[in-house]
Amino acid sequence: MTEPPAVQLMNLRKDFGPLTAVDDVSLEIGRGEVVALLGPNGAGKSTTIDLALGLATPTSGTASLFGRTPRAAIVDGRVGAMLQGGALLPTTTVAQSIALVAAAHRHPLPVSEAMERARVTDIARQRVSKLSGGQLQRARFAVAIVSNPELLILDEPTAAMDVEARHVFWRSMRELTSHGRTVVFATHYLDEADAFADRIVIISRGRVVADGTPSEIKGVVAGRVVAFRLDDGAGDATGILGSLPGVHAVDQRGGRVTVRTDDSDHTLRAILATWPSAHDIEVISRTMDDAFLALTGADSDEHSAVASRGVEAAGPARMQREALR
Amino acid sequence: MNLRYIALEVVRQLRNARSLVFTFVLPAVMLLIFGAAYGSDGAVDGTTGLPWLVVTTVQMAGYGAMMAALSQAFTIVTERSIGWNRQLRITPLSGTGYLMSKVVAALAIALFSIVLTTAVSILVLHTHLEPARWLMAGLGLWAGVIPFALIAILIGQFAKPEFAQPLFMVTFFGLAILGGLWVPLQIMPRWVSDIAQVVPSYWLNRLGQMGASGSGDALAPAIVLVCWTAALAALIVLRYRRDSARA
Repeated sequence: MTEPPAVQLMNLRKDFGPLTAVDDVSLEIGRGEVVALLGPNGAGKSTTIDLALGLATPTSGTASLFGRTPRAAIVDGRVGAMLQGGALLPTTTVAQSIALVAAAHRHPLPVSEAMERARVTDIARQRVSKLSGGQLQRARFAVAIVSNPELLILDEPTAAMDVEARHVFWRSMRELTSHGRTVVFATHYLDEADAFADRIVIISRGRVVADGTPSEIKGVVAGRVVAFRLDDGAGDATGILGSLPGVHAVDQRGGRVTVRTDDSDHTLRAILATWPSAHDIEVISRTMDDAFLALTGADSDEHSAVASRGVEAAGPARMQREALR
Repeated sequence: MNLRYIALEVVRQLRNARSLVFTFVLPAVMLLIFGAAYGSDGAVDGTTGLPWLVVTTVQMAGYGAMMAALSQAFTIVTERSIGWNRQLRITPLSGTGYLMSKVVAALAIALFSIVLTTAVSILVLHTHLEPARWLMAGLGLWAGVIPFALIAILIGQFAKPEFAQPLFMVTFFGLAILGGLWVPLQIMPRWVSDIAQVVPSYWLNRLGQMGASGSGDALAPAIVLVCWTAALAALIVLRYRRDSARA
């Protein structure tokens, strides 16, 4: 018998009045996976997390954790979460906050152990209202792990942390996940998703627009873009350019031509040989940010649907073509 | 029901003494002022046959207990607005368990206030009453506090943070005045004391007086307070269901 996945979202949809925050999201996260939910603000990451945890009721579709309802999994103590807007009581100390939440659980870790794992032992007796942003996040992390959960859901865990605090935070996360824990974290830091996730799910406008390993996602941005301008009347360049080796996509709008290529040197030479008068030439190397922008900037529904299927069905190459605009 | 959580929550609230100053100190101070002004010559209240000092003590203890219970509204509104509730929803603690912790906290703080006010009356004003009567008076007040804890929960469920304060004030002053907790109803217009018959704070005070005098029919207060409790509980459950349905 196969174990049910840690997280299973099926055709989840959530409408807030006329606004669709989550639009037909299906996602399966296996046990032990570390998954980043990446997306711009307002993309629907937090709503997706709320639905997965049963904190919000979907308009349609279902969410289950470990094959059970989210609530049942939470009552079993298998789920810990750090939510957006899930704050601690300002008048309590860090240790008291953790103890309160521990008291609500059935089989919690000892408070001291949760504090050690989250590296908050040194601030245990400080009032929550006196904590810095990074300290507060660490305290909230301690609260999230006090039930010793199998599944950790973290909504922008490193928001308000400085670079060093982020580093420390992810180090303690690594220790925790080395025991096969499942982690789902939302972030808009691309480097975090790249460094800590086995799998990146990109969400934009309530939809999953890409889903793959970090290297697959980064595949979207491999290569460079060669852009140049042709004189009027030069005709259609897409046919010639499209047949060059290493070229993934060509776009011609008016006199402006952009070519996505794995071999910018060769492409550029071919361009100059064919159109000696080509001018305003740019060779642009693309970054993870570009991939992200390309994937999340999808404005037609058809486009995003294809991109999301692309990774699963045809691998990154398919996605690359779709992602270039 | 999660007893460990409820116990810790009560301890947490009692520890947070700063926010309880008004609940504990104000009734005692008012007792000292009114008690010294009207009660020191051993005057007796005509309606209840109790010494004025005892009547005033019961009044002020009732006022403190009511305030203690109603203050839970702020606790709930604050916890909702900062997201503590969301954090708790990722624990096995149920909605009922959460609200129960507030009722128990209200009762605990109310008891503290009742004991404190009575102690001030006995130790400073030398109010005389048999210990058993004091005990009954205190228990009467304490039992009468439950509807106020529920009113607090209802305010906590409904009020946005910016409306909690005015809503609390209106409720609190309304109940304090109509129930005769500040000014004896005898000196109020007739219609006020008529309305008072259906107000829980009136019966809170009456329960305390009955306990102190050891006489009177507890049926009427029991009926009124149970009706309030049932109606409020029903509203709370309704609201809670609607809340979770909308989420």
